[in-house]
Amino acid sequence: MSETISVEAFRLLLDRAGIRVKPESFEDMRNAYTLLQAMRERVRTSRGYDAEPAHIFTPADR
Amino acid sequence: MTALYDLTIAEAAPLLKAKTLSPVELTAAYLSRIEAFDGQLNAYIRVLPEQAMAAARKAEAEIMKGGYKGPLHGVPIGLKDIYNTRGIPTTGHSALYRDHVPEEDATTTRLLAEAGTILLGKLSTWEFAIGGTSFDLPWPPARNPWNLAHDPAGSSSGAGAAIAAGLAMGSMGTDTGGSIRGPAAWCGIAGLKPTYGLVSRRGILPLSFSLDHGGPMCWTSEDCALMMDVLAQHDPLDPGSADVAKPDFRGSLQKDVKGLRIGVVRHFFETDAESDPEIKAGIEAALTTFRDLGCEVIDVTLSPLSAYGDVAALISRSEAFAFHEETLKATPELYGELARQRIMMGAFVRACDYVNALRERGRLIAEIATVFEAVDALICPTMPGVAPKLGELGNMMSRSRPSFTRVFNVTGSPALSVCTGFSAAGLPLNMQIVGRPFQDDLVLRVGSAFEKATSFRDRRPAQWAQPALAAE
Repeated sequence: MSETISVEAFRLLLDRAGIRVKPESFEDMRNAYTLLQAMRERVRTSRGYDAEPAHIFTPADR
Repeated sequence: MTALYDLTIAEAAPLLKAKTLSPVELTAAYLSRIEAFDGQLNAYIRVLPEQAMAAARKAEAEIMKGGYKGPLHGVPIGLKDIYNTRGIPTTGHSALYRDHVPEEDATTTRLLAEAGTILLGKLSTWEFAIGGTSFDLPWPPARNPWNLAHDPAGSSSGAGAAIAAGLAMGSMGTDTGGSIRGPAAWCGIAGLKPTYGLVSRRGILPLSFSLDHGGPMCWTSEDCALMMDVLAQHDPLDPGSADVAKPDFRGSLQKDVKGLRIGVVRHFFETDAESDPEIKAGIEAALTTFRDLGCEVIDVTLSPLSAYGDVAALISRSEAFAFHEETLKATPELYGELARQRIMMGAFVRACDYVNALRERGRLIAEIATVFEAVDALICPTMPGVAPKLGELGNMMSRSRPSFTRVFNVTGSPALSVCTGFSAAGLPLNMQIVGRPFQDDLVLRVGSAFEKATSFRDRRPAQWAQPALAAE
């Protein structure tokens, strides 16, 4: 499980993204960022070069 | 005698065709109910009485002259307010789009109009189909017709509420992570998220381009099939639209379900995510019904729910932020708090995370295709519980909970929610029926067979027959 991002680091991310957050929403956002970070880590697994992004259904699926 | 608002589309259509029921009479009855009840339900953002009556008179004249167009001719419907309607505001339930008046109809809006439907009005939604049940928007959130104190789910909240309360005969919702099926489940109706690409997205406000689906929400699966007969059209103006042979949705309902193989994704609701005992009991009873109908029921295994949830969240947040970034930065005050928070999270998904989510999506699609070699349909709950009190869904963290619906946005599979009974508190229970890509007709056939084999379609929220209502 990802550790909760520090207040300072999260402020930096917000500044870099150019988005403003209401003070009362800051903690909700910071906690949600931790969940997002965990998701990012889970999809970052080793895959073969043939593991291409999903685009369309293959003709056989139709 | 059945009240007009209790008629399904399939029941009303032959009466309209035979000229024993007038579209004018039917539309007036619905408008009267909206006027009487919607002040408490908030299913509609905008009601269009003059336009609806004009369309009804036109439909009546056409039918009287022998120009009956088909089962949707003269049928009153509502559209979620993210479907573009030419000359009529399409707000996304947001202050940002309060004055947004499209110059063109969405393709689906046009198809339904050409089929002779009567547009009663535009229906409530979560803000831009993402915001959650919010109280800081220009319009209040819709309420659940089975109990006004409860949530109808979203984002197609008004569409679900309107159908259950008899304030529209058919409606259109959209579904990026469950926004057709969730309200269908909690409002006790039928809602189909079609196969990705089968129904045009052209002219629907986007949330997540590769996960968005438009589809019908009606009292029965049969009515959804009647709407799909009109909606399933290749649209060259939608780059995701599939050019495939169109099934005969209504005709498919006449076929038997005997011999179909039903796969139960039991680990979804028994180990991956906690589900209410009443929901699980509803599923088990439904499986007994399918066995009685001659289906073979077997357990199947897919990847854990969380695998789908990760992929869905990373893709949907990225795509939503891509669409909203400019206005979100320029005018954040025009968004409600929940929508703003949820969309902003997309700013923190890196490009490589997005691509890896798409690669994982490819694996999940291949996996489910393998499972579908052994079964014809999948069953699992739509929602893990019944409708909670309004406002209890609220915060953005709720989106991190496992979802049974997002699975099939990731795979693009057709997925239908139907009612499996009622809780002790009188709230609808639910089940999801899923099929192979472009076998939406089979999914509707299974749903319709279940509805006809059970009595749950005979029960409407009783209070809506009364002129006065009171919340709990």
